[in-house]
Amino acid sequence: MAATQKLYPRATVKRIVKAQANRNSSKNADILIFLDYMLFMQELMREASIRSRKAGEKHISPNSVRKVTEKTLRKFKG
Amino acid sequence: MSDTPNPRSRRSARDSEGSGASTPAGDTTLTRLQRLPIHTRHPSTPSRLAVSATPRSTSRYTPRNRGAAPSTPYGLRAMQRRAANTPGRDRRKSGRGQRETVFDVLRNLSKALAPNSQPIRSSPQPPPEPEPESEIDEIDELDNEPALERPRLSLPLDEVEEDDDEGSPEIRPPRMSLALEDEDMTHTSVEYPRRATFDRDRGRLSMMSYGARLSENFGDATGFEDGSEDGDATGMVLDEDDRQDETIISQNAFDRGGDTEDLGRFNFDFNFPSPVGPAEDLDQDGPLNDDEGFELPPVNLGLNAGPESDYSDDGDATGGFGLELNLPDRVSMSESPGLVGGGLRDEDTVIQGSKQKKLSRHGIPVPNMPAGVVRKLATRFARARSGPKTKISKTTLAAIEQASSWYFEQVSEDLAAYSKHAGRKTIDETDVTALMRRQRHLNNTTTVFSLAQKHLPKELLQDMRLAMPPR
Repeated sequence: MAATQKLYPRATVKRIVKAQANRNSSKNADILIFLDYMLFMQELMREASIRSRKAGEKHISPNSVRKVTEKTLRKFKG
Repeated sequence: MSDTPNPRSRRSARDSEGSGASTPAGDTTLTRLQRLPIHTRHPSTPSRLAVSATPRSTSRYTPRNRGAAPSTPYGLRAMQRRAANTPGRDRRKSGRGQRETVFDVLRNLSKALAPNSQPIRSSPQPPPEPEPESEIDEIDELDNEPALERPRLSLPLDEVEEDDDEGSPEIRPPRMSLALEDEDMTHTSVEYPRRATFDRDRGRLSMMSYGARLSENFGDATGFEDGSEDGDATGMVLDEDDRQDETIISQNAFDRGGDTEDLGRFNFDFNFPSPVGPAEDLDQDGPLNDDEGFELPPVNLGLNAGPESDYSDDGDATGGFGLELNLPDRVSMSESPGLVGGGLRDEDTVIQGSKQKKLSRHGIPVPNMPAGVVRKLATRFARARSGPKTKISKTTLAAIEQASSWYFEQVSEDLAAYSKHAGRKTIDETDVTALMRRQRHLNNTTTVFSLAQKHLPKELLQDMRLAMPPR
């Protein structure tokens, strides 16, 4: 948890959600949204690292991330 | 009628005898014929079964009689008598039994033989003669065949040899066919690369759940393929993008956005196949920057914040354009910044605002998730997963940013749907929890708070607790 003082810009998350959903979010809903986003990132990086390791790559390549993106997004489809 | 076939046949025989069917014992054919009618008679038998209270009429073999016997006292007595006497004695004592046994034997023989014997009888003299002949012929043929086979064995060898000698000509014909196919391929092959790019886009689109875009993309695709190839040559464009990202979040927004909004997301990147040359130079420089960028995420954040607010038209116009042009396809694919903005940016692209203004489907400009935050999260989870020294290159980061932008779009739509369903105008915490529950992140053992405790810093946890008191 290298959570520095500021883990993420709350206003930005709120604005993203508002723009995409065309709805306001309640005062602290963005925290949960960001929490879910963290879970998404965790899953994405997990899948990407697995895939890159299978491919024998030293570091996570953008290709492995791209390949995994769809699958992970589908997992996070509500 | 649950009786097994054998008892039925016996009964039928008896019945036929009792009815006087026993007359021509000698006619085997008649006996055969009788079988069929007997079976039909069985349904009528129940009357006899009812009468069967008397031991003689009822045969022990049928389970029914046993079941029915106890109902009447006579039946009980009869059962007792039968039990006392061995079944064999009863059969022997009864004259009918003896007669039956004879008939039964004959019938059994006929039954056993009939199926096999009939065909033989029907074609005793005439068919047998031809059959043996045919058999003989077959044998002869078989004899002949082996001889043929031997030469066959030799033939393939010869053919192989011939192939070796003449291998080129024989091989050629198949090639000819292949060549024809190839020609067909050539006709279509021109389109395949386009389709391939489209398919990629489609995958993305599917993720986005926009069906209509595909058709639109086709038209666009033709345009950007050319550019994409050029852009591919310059692998490093990303770095430049990153720079742009810092300055201007939505670089790709430049794309012609004029097309349909949906299409715009992906098309933008592709639409700008234009000049590659300048981009390459930038790209080369890029990699160095990548390393630097790694160390300095906070700086990036600051930069990002700046550009968003500024919507730097000047800087973007100069730097952003060159970069975007260079990066056509791959940039869109791999490098998230363009893609992220993409769908939203279509409208923006017209404006030239590029990164800063990506318009959502609702026409609202969407800020990008700051690259620094994305990188921080990505590195954290990547390191937790695969070692403390894993690094995330800029291209990878771009891909992650794109994924995250898609994620936010998807999640936002879901949340909006939930809140709308609840009749609210704002997205509530309950909507998010419902979403997470549907994502299988929350269940009976995992609560929002446990997840938050795991991932979020205390301050945010505090806020969250205040917002949604534990039930």
